Amino acid sequence: MMYSNKLRKSNFLFLQILQWIFFIIIIAFCYLAETSGSYSKPLLLLPAALCIASHTGEIQAMAVGMACGLLLDLACGKLLGFNAFLLVAGCVLISLLYRYFLRQKLINMLFLTAICALIQGGLDYVLYYAVWGYEDVFLIWQEIIFPSCLMTTASSVIFYFLIKKIAESCGSHRINQLEKMRISDYQD
Amino acid sequence: MLNFLKSRKCKAVLWVLALLIGLMLYAVFVGGYTISSVSVFNAVAAPFQRMSNAISQHVEYGLDLYRNAEDYYEENRALREEINLLHTELADYEATKEELERLQAFIGIKEKHEDYSMTSPFDVTGYVTNDPFCAFRIDGGSEDGISLYDPVVSDMGLVGVISELGTHTATVTTILSPELSVSAGTRASKERGVLTGSVPLAMDGLCKLQYLEKDVNLKKDKIILTTGENGLFPAGYVIGYVKETKMDDTGLTAYAAVKPASDLKNLSLVVVITDFSGKADLNDVQQ
Repeated sequence: MMYSNKLRKSNFLFLQILQWIFFIIIIAFCYLAETSGSYSKPLLLLPAALCIASHTGEIQAMAVGMACGLLLDLACGKLLGFNAFLLVAGCVLISLLYRYFLRQKLINMLFLTAICALIQGGLDYVLYYAVWGYEDVFLIWQEIIFPSCLMTTASSVIFYFLIKKIAESCGSHRINQLEKMRISDYQD
Repeated sequence: MLNFLKSRKCKAVLWVLALLIGLMLYAVFVGGYTISSVSVFNAVAAPFQRMSNAISQHVEYGLDLYRNAEDYYEENRALREEINLLHTELADYEATKEELERLQAFIGIKEKHEDYSMTSPFDVTGYVTNDPFCAFRIDGGSEDGISLYDPVVSDMGLVGVISELGTHTATVTTILSPELSVSAGTRASKERGVLTGSVPLAMDGLCKLQYLEKDVNLKKDKIILTTGENGLFPAGYVIGYVKETKMDDTGLTAYAAVKPASDLKNLSLVVVITDFSGKADLNDVQQ
């Protein structure tokens, strides 16, 4: 019996490590995609971080938010910490929302990604362009930032299914379900 | 939810947020955004970035061929006509060139750009994501003799200046950016102005030569060069070609839309000019 428990524990640990390896590969791929080419593109690190956060605890969500945010700062040439700050706050909030209120539905993730992308895009536009009062500065919002927000939101569909599949295969959803049950028991 | 707010986890999150604010403040105080200063990370990421950039350029090239085949056909036809025209003009040009060479030897003008000190070519490791003004990073930094605000050029023309500098990487702000102003004019220097970026023109990959006289006579495809007046850029380097001339909104001056000679969206190799005659002191520039 003890041997069986040990085996189950080590198996669970192996799956958790495997899950994080997959997450790291996804994040690395997103970073490389962001730094390639000169065309306007979605900020893939944002939906990736949010989708991962929806399947993890607050501390893991914070770590993912910080890593993805700093990578986004490097890719976008922004003040180091600007996107990291937003993503840490966003990821922790999303982790809490999914733990206490929300269910794993695509529409929820689309909605949350859209809000985060618009906040990030809006702050980027105001602090990096509008504040300098360039001529016809609204074109930057219209031609680059807003389309990028839309593409970012749309790209969350891929990450939603991909990360859900990884989390389900590696057992994270079971931990979350148990946690939810524990919380509902506690509330009862 | 309230349990979380009272928990240690919440405190940990708040500590991390405070740390990030500290990081931002530090980044502001050390000057620039320190992107290029994250040398270790950049050193690790650079080969991967270069690889993915190369893949992306190939994909873009393929898609571009597929999407714009008709445009290329038309362009090819127009270029053939232009070549025929140029062939006829070449004869005149040869005669003019011979005369010019004779005159150059006569008055002892130095060879063009002899005063330049240039680095070896640097690879473009990647473009800044979603930057409307095509800022990009190169794999050279202060260790390679580059300084802040050094001009960056390609084999076709002026590209921009070094705006952020790390030990092994640097960020280049291009001439499409409104942050950059270059004193520029035509070869004969009859028409002079200030070349700067403009948001609406940058969307079409153009920049703006402004403060031209109202009755300016700048024909399409006229070459625009640096005049070297502010000491930031060497004089006589090609910037681009006039696309069209228009009156300014004020009606007091005219401006020309200039197409950069370099393809700023698809650069792969650039050179940094580290010194040239008439270069301004960095401290003067910053002031």
